Amino acid sequence: MKRKLLSVLLAGAMVASLSACGGAATATAPAADAGSEAEATTDEEAPAEEADSAAPAASGEGVRLLNGKPEIDQQLQDLAKLYNEETGNTLIVETIGGDTNASDELKKMYQADNMPDIFVIEANQADTWDGMLADLAGEEWTDKTGFELVNASMGTIGFPYTVEATALGYNADVLKAAGVDPASLTSPAAYADAFKTLDEKKDELGITAVLGWCAEPANLGWSSGTHVFGQYLDAGLKADDTTYIDLLNDGGKVDEKRMKAFAEFVGMMNQYSDPDLLVDGTYDEQVAGFKDGKYAFITQGNWCVTSPDDVSFECGFAPYAFEDGIDTIIAGPPSYWVAYSEGDVDGAKEFFNWCAGDSAQNILVNDAGLVSPFDDCKYEAVNPFYKSMKSYIDAGKYSGWHTMLKKDGLQNVTCQVFADYAQGKLDADGFASTMAQVIQSYYNN
Amino acid sequence: MGEFSVGRKAASFGCMIVGLVLMIWGLAMAIAKTGNTLRGGALVVGAVAFFVGFYLFPTLKHHRTIVNIIFLFPLLFAFAVTVIIPLVLGIGYSFTDWNGIRTKGFVGLDNYMRMFRQPGFLWSILITFLFVVFNIILVNLTAFLLALLCTSKLKGLGFFRAAYFLPNLIGGIVLGYIWQFIFSNVITKFTTALFDSRYSMLSETKTAFIGIVIVYIWQYAGYIMLIYITGLNTIPGDVLEASSIDGANATQTLFEIKIPMIAPTITICTFLTLTSAFKQFDVNLALTNGTGSVANFMGNYLTNGTEMLALNIYSTAVINNEYAFGEAKAVLFFIILAVVSIVQVRISNKKEVEL
Repeated sequence: MKRKLLSVLLAGAMVASLSACGGAATATAPAADAGSEAEATTDEEAPAEEADSAAPAASGEGVRLLNGKPEIDQQLQDLAKLYNEETGNTLIVETIGGDTNASDELKKMYQADNMPDIFVIEANQADTWDGMLADLAGEEWTDKTGFELVNASMGTIGFPYTVEATALGYNADVLKAAGVDPASLTSPAAYADAFKTLDEKKDELGITAVLGWCAEPANLGWSSGTHVFGQYLDAGLKADDTTYIDLLNDGGKVDEKRMKAFAEFVGMMNQYSDPDLLVDGTYDEQVAGFKDGKYAFITQGNWCVTSPDDVSFECGFAPYAFEDGIDTIIAGPPSYWVAYSEGDVDGAKEFFNWCAGDSAQNILVNDAGLVSPFDDCKYEAVNPFYKSMKSYIDAGKYSGWHTMLKKDGLQNVTCQVFADYAQGKLDADGFASTMAQVIQSYYNN
Repeated sequence: MGEFSVGRKAASFGCMIVGLVLMIWGLAMAIAKTGNTLRGGALVVGAVAFFVGFYLFPTLKHHRTIVNIIFLFPLLFAFAVTVIIPLVLGIGYSFTDWNGIRTKGFVGLDNYMRMFRQPGFLWSILITFLFVVFNIILVNLTAFLLALLCTSKLKGLGFFRAAYFLPNLIGGIVLGYIWQFIFSNVITKFTTALFDSRYSMLSETKTAFIGIVIVYIWQYAGYIMLIYITGLNTIPGDVLEASSIDGANATQTLFEIKIPMIAPTITICTFLTLTSAFKQFDVNLALTNGTGSVANFMGNYLTNGTEMLALNIYSTAVINNEYAFGEAKAVLFFIILAVVSIVQVRISNKKEVEL
């Protein structure tokens, strides 16, 4: 009898748990996902608390935003709270990051019919979502910025939430001590002189090497393959000039003369970089070296030093002047927030307009450390590179992030060529021709 | 047959019908995207009701079969959902231009033709086979020697067993990062001193490949060792005793007695190393991420020198955003793996009899 009772109890428990799982999975699907995808978030309570309100999100009770930057998750949660306080609308922030990239996760969400209303994309992903993103043209915020993402078939689709810049970051104090004027660095010859001077005065200046440039491909391929390679595509061009990216996307063509000049410049970077960093370094070593004042230049962008407390010197950007007269840095939004056309478009538009306003910019600029893309933003970013960035942007001396429009995955091919060049397996001509060959074969296979 | 009461029959058929109706209703709601709170419950209650009815089905002859089916169902269902259906879908997707979001069109065999024109992919196949050959030999050899050591009369055997097995408990990604540090920070100290080469062995395709093999052996040999230990322990003591009385020395005992006696273990171990080496992914990803250059392979400069098949499939689909193309490669991967495994098991089984 006892045994029978026990078995009935067990069976009952099993059935109950099964039906409980089944019920929960459908009822709170968005909320459950919010929890599991927020692995990288530090504050998991926020999505959990909203579990009850999350379920009917699709029916217009809140706007879901998929964030791809885990480092600003907390600030975005604050932003959502403020948005609710000021307007009464609900914003649910879900964060993806670390090693999972947002575009991959979005595909799963799309297949599961669980799309957020606002999500993050990089410029070249717009075509994947062709016809599914809302046209935001005519919205109030579009008058305040020149950085929105415009797509040929879908119109104005991307809301820029930050501006990032990349060029040769420098330690102004070291350059000053060495008597190098960063404003003069607009030709390969000027760089050759400057690098030579710095190299000769290394001990006197207390630096280990002139440059902190790392061409390690396995973990830093994005840096060489996307960002440094992007200088070949854009340096010296106007922000809307797409000459070289168009050439590249036309079957992988490369401008020989420009690539050659670029190769010579990279060769000079290889020569003056810290040899311990060049081939086997890591991002952390590279950035730490720059922060400690061990390198006069670094081949990263404004994201590598985000707080004024990190450095005890002035930072600035100098252009990759591999041809005479190149005087621009690459600046623009690396990714955008877009509105899913089948989601809550009106809610998204309303949020974007609010987000371009004063109170939201306050959080994004002062708390999250982002650089505002909006002209009327009165907050100065805390980023140590901000002053230099702003001077280039104000003078119109900035080029676009067209490197984000190259074919997906090209960086994993090009970064290896950078690495081989750094190791000395290739010379400048070899670098230029190999680069042309691997790009061509990547586009055509 | 009058053995079953009307009540029993009614309960059985009633439950089954109610269950079916509930399940169909739940599915219909899921497809129509309505009834968010109800449909999951309806589906589960329906399924349970159906099985209760099925269990009560008025038959004596087939009752046992029905019970078997009911007990097998959860496993078969899970297997179908996680393995069979994705396999079929994957094969289907490989004939399209699916990009992970939408399918724009049917491309026939284009993806299959294209992968054989891609030198990088052919290189991946080549080095995967090379890796498998290296590993089957080296892992088994190392593991067998370790097993011999751990079945001898050494002191502190427990410690050795645990120590050799421990690396297997660390995840491949973590292992990859740990060894990356070792290769580029520790080993370089020695190579700089000995060969005056300051760059890590991971920066050169050949040495990076050796690096992956080393890490893999380090990770996997302990596991295979455990199986060999079990095998060696099953050798009956009287056989060993008899051989020693007959004057067999240690080498003879090893080759004439021990190895033939553990032939089935060797089969299992080679099979395990073969398939797991083929599927090598995590260490590959974390240690080199497929980097490394090959100056001339079929007239091309390759940039994926250490990228093995599984990693190549992953980067094609996820990094390069060509999901359908990745699926096609995965189908080929499946076929290769299936053929190699079957052939290998066949051969080993024959060997066992001969030995």
